[in-house]
Amino acid sequence: MKEYQDQAWTVARYILKDAQEAEDATQEAFVKLWNNMDNIDPERVKPWLMKVTRNGCLDRLRRRRDNVEFDESHMAGEVSGPMQGAVANEVGIWLKRAIAGLKEPYRSLVVLRDVNQHSYEEVAGMLELNLAQVKTYLHRARKQLREQLAEVRP
Amino acid sequence: MNTYDDKWEDRINALLDGELSDMDADALKSEATDDRELARAIIEAYQLQRAMDAIHVERAPASLRKRLNKIPREQRAESGFRLFQPRWAMALAVIPLAIIAVNLMQPDTPSADEIAEARQQLAIAFAYLDKAGTITGREIESTVGHTMADALSGSVNRTIKFTNEHSKEKEV
Repeated sequence: MKEYQDQAWTVARYILKDAQEAEDATQEAFVKLWNNMDNIDPERVKPWLMKVTRNGCLDRLRRRRDNVEFDESHMAGEVSGPMQGAVANEVGIWLKRAIAGLKEPYRSLVVLRDVNQHSYEEVAGMLELNLAQVKTYLHRARKQLREQLAEVRP
Repeated sequence: MNTYDDKWEDRINALLDGELSDMDADALKSEATDDRELARAIIEAYQLQRAMDAIHVERAPASLRKRLNKIPREQRAESGFRLFQPRWAMALAVIPLAIIAVNLMQPDTPSADEIAEARQQLAIAFAYLDKAGTITGREIESTVGHTMADALSGSVNRTIKFTNEHSKEKEV
Protein backbone atom coordinates (compact mmCIF):
# COMPACT_ATOMS: atom_id res chain seq x y z
CA MET A 1 0.00 0.00 0.00
CA LYS A 2 2.96 2.32 0.61
CA GLU A 3 3.83 2.05 -3.06
CA TYR A 4 0.33 3.19 -3.97
CA GLN A 5 0.54 6.04 -1.49
CA ASP A 6 3.80 7.25 -3.02
CA GLN A 7 2.50 6.99 -6.56
CA ALA A 8 -0.75 8.78 -5.82
CA TRP A 9 1.12 11.46 -3.92
CA THR A 10 3.54 11.91 -6.83
CA VAL A 11 0.67 12.39 -9.28
CA ALA A 12 -1.03 14.89 -6.98
CA ARG A 13 2.18 16.72 -6.27
CA TYR A 14 3.07 17.23 -9.91
CA ILE A 15 -0.40 18.30 -10.93
CA LEU A 16 -1.27 20.56 -8.01
CA LYS A 17 2.21 21.90 -7.20
CA ASP A 18 1.07 22.51 -3.66
CA ALA A 19 2.01 20.13 -0.87
CA GLN A 20 -0.98 20.71 1.36
CA GLU A 21 -3.50 20.44 -1.46
CA ALA A 22 -1.73 17.38 -2.81
CA GLU A 23 -2.04 15.73 0.58
CA ASP A 24 -5.76 16.54 0.69
CA ALA A 25 -6.29 15.23 -2.84
CA THR A 26 -4.39 12.03 -2.10
CA GLN A 27 -6.38 11.48 1.07
CA GLU A 28 -9.63 12.02 -0.80
CA ALA A 29 -8.61 9.46 -3.40
CA PHE A 30 -7.82 6.90 -0.71
CA VAL A 31 -11.13 7.53 1.05
CA LYS A 32 -12.89 6.88 -2.27
CA LEU A 33 -10.79 3.77 -2.73
CA TRP A 34 -11.81 2.52 0.69
CA ASN A 35 -15.47 3.23 0.05
CA ASN A 36 -15.41 1.46 -3.32
CA MET A 37 -13.10 -1.38 -2.40
CA ASP A 38 -15.83 -3.97 -2.83
CA ASN A 39 -16.55 -2.85 -6.38
CA ILE A 40 -12.98 -2.71 -7.65
CA ASP A 41 -11.21 -5.64 -9.23
CA PRO A 42 -8.20 -6.25 -6.95
CA GLU A 43 -5.93 -6.27 -9.97
CA ARG A 44 -7.24 -2.88 -11.07
CA VAL A 45 -6.78 -1.08 -7.77
CA LYS A 46 -3.63 0.77 -8.77
CA PRO A 47 -4.91 2.15 -12.09
CA TRP A 48 -8.24 2.99 -10.42
CA LEU A 49 -6.46 4.87 -7.67
CA MET A 50 -4.23 6.80 -10.09
CA LYS A 51 -7.22 7.73 -12.21
CA VAL A 52 -9.24 8.93 -9.23
CA THR A 53 -6.28 10.84 -7.84
CA ARG A 54 -5.67 12.56 -11.14
CA ASN A 55 -9.33 13.40 -11.67
CA GLY A 56 -9.55 14.80 -8.15
CA CYS A 57 -6.50 16.95 -8.80
CA LEU A 58 -7.89 18.24 -12.08
CA ASP A 59 -11.16 19.12 -10.33
CA ARG A 60 -9.18 21.05 -7.77
CA LEU A 61 -7.32 22.86 -10.54
CA ARG A 62 -10.60 23.80 -12.16
CA ARG A 63 -12.01 25.09 -8.87
CA ARG A 64 -8.83 27.00 -8.32
CA ARG A 65 -9.22 28.71 -11.68
CA ASP A 66 -12.89 29.40 -10.99
CA ASN A 67 -12.05 31.13 -7.75
CA VAL A 68 -8.79 32.86 -7.28
CA GLU A 69 -5.91 32.38 -9.63
CA PHE A 70 -3.47 30.19 -7.80
CA ASP A 71 -0.15 31.80 -7.09
CA GLU A 72 2.40 29.47 -8.58
CA SER A 73 5.32 31.68 -7.70
CA HIS A 74 5.87 29.59 -4.58
CA MET A 75 7.00 26.77 -6.83
CA ALA A 76 10.40 28.44 -7.17
CA GLY A 77 10.97 28.04 -3.46
CA GLU A 78 9.52 24.54 -3.41
CA VAL A 79 11.98 22.89 -5.65
CA SER A 80 13.14 20.70 -2.82
CA GLY A 81 9.57 20.13 -1.60
CA PRO A 82 7.93 17.90 -4.18
CA MET A 83 11.21 16.50 -5.32
CA GLN A 84 12.82 15.84 -1.97
CA GLY A 85 14.91 12.76 -1.86
CA ALA A 86 14.67 12.25 -5.59
CA VAL A 87 17.36 14.02 -7.50
CA ALA A 88 20.00 16.25 -6.11
CA ASN A 89 21.40 17.49 -9.37
CA GLU A 90 20.22 20.54 -11.18
CA VAL A 91 18.96 18.75 -14.27
CA GLY A 92 16.74 16.56 -12.16
CA ILE A 93 15.33 19.52 -10.30
CA TRP A 94 14.83 21.41 -13.51
CA LEU A 95 13.16 18.40 -15.14
CA LYS A 96 10.69 17.97 -12.34
CA ARG A 97 9.68 21.57 -12.59
CA ALA A 98 9.43 21.26 -16.35
CA ILE A 99 7.14 18.23 -16.00
CA ALA A 100 5.00 20.09 -13.49
CA GLY A 101 4.77 22.94 -16.01
CA LEU A 102 3.41 20.79 -18.84
CA LYS A 103 -0.23 21.08 -19.81
CA GLU A 104 -2.72 18.29 -19.36
CA PRO A 105 -2.83 15.52 -20.40
CA TYR A 106 0.89 15.70 -21.19
CA ARG A 107 1.87 16.22 -17.56
CA SER A 108 -0.15 13.28 -16.30
CA LEU A 109 1.14 11.08 -19.09
CA VAL A 110 4.76 11.83 -18.25
CA VAL A 111 4.21 11.39 -14.52
CA LEU A 112 2.29 8.13 -14.90
CA ARG A 113 4.49 6.59 -17.56
CA ASP A 114 7.98 8.02 -17.02
CA VAL A 115 7.97 8.78 -13.30
CA ASN A 116 5.59 6.18 -11.86
CA GLN A 117 6.61 3.66 -14.53
CA HIS A 118 3.13 2.40 -15.33
CA SER A 119 2.77 0.46 -18.56
CA TYR A 120 1.31 2.14 -21.63
CA GLU A 121 -1.77 -0.03 -21.26
CA GLU A 122 -2.26 0.99 -17.66
CA VAL A 123 -1.84 4.65 -18.51
CA ALA A 124 -4.36 4.28 -21.31
CA GLY A 125 -6.86 2.88 -18.83
CA MET A 126 -6.16 5.58 -16.25
CA LEU A 127 -6.61 8.42 -18.70
CA GLU A 128 -9.36 6.76 -20.74
CA LEU A 129 -7.37 7.08 -23.91
CA ASN A 130 -6.48 4.44 -26.46
CA LEU A 131 -2.95 3.15 -26.75
CA ALA A 132 -2.19 5.14 -29.90
CA GLN A 133 -3.35 8.37 -28.24
CA VAL A 134 -1.24 7.67 -25.18
CA LYS A 135 1.86 7.18 -27.29
CA THR A 136 1.22 10.19 -29.49
CA TYR A 137 0.57 12.55 -26.57
CA LEU A 138 3.45 11.15 -24.57
CA HIS A 139 5.82 11.57 -27.48
CA ARG A 140 4.75 15.17 -27.86
CA ALA A 141 5.23 15.76 -24.17
CA ARG A 142 8.68 14.25 -24.25
CA LYS A 143 9.55 16.35 -27.29
CA GLN A 144 8.56 19.50 -25.42
CA LEU A 145 10.72 18.49 -22.48
CA ARG A 146 13.57 17.56 -24.76
CA GLU A 147 13.50 20.91 -26.44
CA GLN A 148 13.36 22.72 -23.13
CA LEU A 149 16.18 20.60 -21.80
CA ALA A 150 18.30 21.44 -24.85
CA GLU A 151 17.79 25.12 -24.11
CA VAL A 152 18.96 24.93 -20.53
CA ARG A 153 21.83 22.54 -21.11
CA PRO A 154 25.18 24.24 -21.68
CA MET B 1 2.77 19.46 -34.93
CA ASN B 2 2.35 17.66 -38.22
CA THR B 3 2.05 13.98 -38.99
CA TYR B 4 5.67 13.78 -40.06
CA ASP B 5 6.81 14.99 -36.64
CA ASP B 6 4.57 12.48 -34.91
CA LYS B 7 5.94 9.63 -37.00
CA TRP B 8 9.44 10.77 -36.29
CA GLU B 9 8.71 10.94 -32.60
CA ASP B 10 7.11 7.50 -32.71
CA ARG B 11 10.30 6.00 -34.12
CA ILE B 12 12.60 7.81 -31.69
CA ASN B 13 10.48 6.79 -28.71
CA ALA B 14 10.17 3.26 -29.98
CA LEU B 15 13.96 3.17 -30.25
CA LEU B 16 14.33 4.36 -26.67
CA ASP B 17 11.65 2.00 -25.40
CA GLY B 18 13.39 -0.91 -27.14
CA GLU B 19 10.31 -1.53 -29.24
CA LEU B 20 12.04 -1.01 -32.56
CA SER B 21 13.29 -4.10 -34.38
CA ASP B 22 17.03 -4.27 -35.01
CA MET B 23 16.46 -3.63 -38.68
CA ASP B 24 14.29 -0.58 -38.04
CA ALA B 25 16.73 0.69 -35.40
CA ASP B 26 19.63 0.39 -37.83
CA ALA B 27 17.59 2.12 -40.51
CA LEU B 28 16.81 5.02 -38.16
CA LYS B 29 20.44 5.38 -37.10
CA SER B 30 21.55 5.26 -40.70
CA GLU B 31 19.01 7.94 -41.51
CA ALA B 32 20.32 10.03 -38.64
CA THR B 33 23.84 10.04 -40.04
CA ASP B 34 22.49 11.94 -43.02
CA ASP B 35 20.02 14.08 -41.06
CA ARG B 36 21.56 16.31 -38.40
CA GLU B 37 18.15 17.29 -37.04
CA LEU B 38 17.18 13.69 -36.56
CA ALA B 39 20.56 12.90 -35.00
CA ARG B 40 20.18 15.79 -32.58
CA ALA B 41 16.63 14.70 -31.70
CA ILE B 42 17.82 11.16 -30.92
CA ILE B 43 20.69 12.42 -28.75
CA GLU B 44 18.38 14.79 -26.85
CA ALA B 45 15.87 11.98 -26.40
CA TYR B 46 18.58 9.81 -24.85
CA GLN B 47 19.61 12.67 -22.56
CA LEU B 48 16.02 13.18 -21.48
CA GLN B 49 15.60 9.48 -20.86
CA ARG B 50 18.71 9.47 -18.68
CA ALA B 51 17.42 12.43 -16.71
CA MET B 52 14.02 10.73 -16.38
CA ASP B 53 15.68 7.60 -15.04
CA ALA B 54 17.04 9.66 -12.17
CA ILE B 55 13.56 10.82 -11.22
CA HIS B 56 11.75 8.47 -8.95
CA VAL B 57 8.34 8.26 -7.39
CA GLU B 58 8.15 10.76 -4.55
CA ARG B 59 7.93 9.41 -1.06
CA ALA B 60 4.70 10.49 0.55
CA PRO B 61 5.42 12.73 3.56
CA ALA B 62 4.94 11.33 7.05
CA SER B 63 2.00 13.64 7.68
CA LEU B 64 0.19 12.17 4.67
CA ARG B 65 1.04 8.61 5.65
CA LYS B 66 -0.45 9.28 9.06
CA ARG B 67 -3.64 10.63 7.49
CA LEU B 68 -3.90 7.72 5.07
CA ASN B 69 -3.33 5.14 7.77
CA LYS B 70 -6.22 6.62 9.72
CA ILE B 71 -8.66 6.18 6.84
CA PRO B 72 -9.64 2.55 7.44
CA ARG B 73 -10.38 3.29 11.09
CA GLU B 74 -12.32 6.46 10.31
CA GLN B 75 -14.26 4.80 7.53
CA ARG B 76 -15.12 1.89 9.77
CA ALA B 77 -16.44 4.32 12.34
CA GLU B 78 -18.41 6.12 9.66
CA SER B 79 -19.78 2.92 8.17
CA GLY B 80 -20.75 1.82 11.68
CA PHE B 81 -22.65 5.05 12.09
CA ARG B 82 -24.31 4.52 8.74
CA LEU B 83 -25.42 1.05 9.81
CA PHE B 84 -26.81 2.57 12.93
CA GLN B 85 -28.73 5.24 11.05
CA PRO B 86 -31.48 2.99 9.62
CA ARG B 87 -32.12 1.66 13.10
CA TRP B 88 -32.71 5.17 14.27
CA ALA B 89 -34.92 5.85 11.31
CA MET B 90 -36.88 2.68 12.00
CA ALA B 91 -37.23 3.56 15.66
CA LEU B 92 -38.46 7.03 14.75
CA ALA B 93 -40.91 5.58 12.26
CA VAL B 94 -42.24 3.11 14.83
CA ILE B 95 -43.26 5.85 17.28
CA PRO B 96 -46.08 7.38 15.19
CA LEU B 97 -47.16 3.90 14.11
CA ALA B 98 -47.43 2.86 17.75
CA ILE B 99 -49.47 5.97 18.55
CA ILE B 100 -51.79 5.25 15.65
CA ALA B 101 -52.14 1.61 16.70
CA VAL B 102 -52.95 2.55 20.29
CA ASN B 103 -55.56 5.02 19.06
CA LEU B 104 -57.10 2.42 16.81
CA MET B 105 -57.31 -0.07 19.65
CA GLN B 106 -59.03 2.38 21.93
CA PRO B 107 -62.87 2.73 21.74
CA ASP B 108 -64.07 5.61 19.66
CA THR B 109 -64.63 8.81 21.57
CA PRO B 110 -68.13 10.01 20.72
CA SER B 111 -68.57 13.36 19.14
CA ALA B 112 -70.72 16.12 20.71
CA ASP B 113 -73.56 15.36 18.27
CA GLU B 114 -73.46 11.69 19.18
CA ILE B 115 -73.65 12.56 22.88
CA ALA B 116 -76.63 14.86 22.31
CA GLU B 117 -78.40 12.19 20.29
CA ALA B 118 -77.72 9.56 22.92
CA ARG B 119 -79.02 11.87 25.65
CA GLN B 120 -82.20 12.44 23.65
CA GLN B 121 -82.72 8.71 23.15
CA LEU B 122 -82.08 8.12 26.81
CA ALA B 123 -84.67 10.77 27.74
CA ILE B 124 -87.22 9.08 25.49
CA ALA B 125 -86.42 5.72 27.02
CA PHE B 126 -86.76 7.12 30.55
CA ALA B 127 -90.08 8.72 29.62
CA TYR B 128 -91.24 5.42 28.23
CA LEU B 129 -90.15 3.60 31.36
CA ASP B 130 -91.86 6.25 33.49
CA LYS B 131 -95.09 5.75 31.57
CA ALA B 132 -94.67 1.99 31.65
CA GLY B 133 -94.15 2.20 35.39
CA THR B 134 -97.39 4.13 35.85
CA ILE B 135 -99.33 1.69 33.65
CA THR B 136 -97.77 -1.23 35.46
CA GLY B 137 -98.82 0.35 38.77
CA ARG B 138 -102.44 0.68 37.57
CA GLU B 139 -102.52 -2.91 36.39
CA ILE B 140 -101.04 -4.13 39.65
CA GLU B 141 -103.53 -1.91 41.57
CA SER B 142 -106.44 -3.43 39.75
CA THR B 143 -105.06 -6.85 40.40
CA VAL B 144 -103.58 -6.82 43.90
CA GLY B 145 -104.70 -3.55 45.51
CA HIS B 146 -103.62 0.10 46.02
CA THR B 147 -100.87 -0.38 48.64
CA MET B 148 -99.02 -2.95 46.66
CA ALA B 149 -99.39 -0.89 43.49
CA ASP B 150 -97.87 2.17 45.18
CA ALA B 151 -94.97 0.14 46.44
CA LEU B 152 -94.18 -1.37 43.04
CA SER B 153 -94.80 1.83 41.12
CA GLY B 154 -92.61 3.78 43.57
CA SER B 155 -89.87 1.19 43.24
CA VAL B 156 -89.90 1.40 39.41
CA ASN B 157 -89.96 5.20 39.47
CA ARG B 158 -87.08 5.34 41.96
CA THR B 159 -85.09 2.96 39.82
CA ILE B 160 -85.75 5.09 36.72
CA LYS B 161 -84.88 8.29 38.61
CA PHE B 162 -81.64 6.77 39.96
CA THR B 163 -80.61 5.46 36.54
CA ASN B 164 -81.35 8.84 34.97
CA GLU B 165 -79.29 10.74 37.54
CA HIS B 166 -76.47 8.25 37.39
CA SER B 167 -76.33 8.59 33.63
CA LYS B 168 -76.18 12.39 33.88
CA GLU B 169 -73.32 12.20 36.36
CA LYS B 170 -71.41 9.96 33.97
CA GLU B 171 -71.88 12.41 31.16
CA VAL B 172 -70.57 15.21 33.27
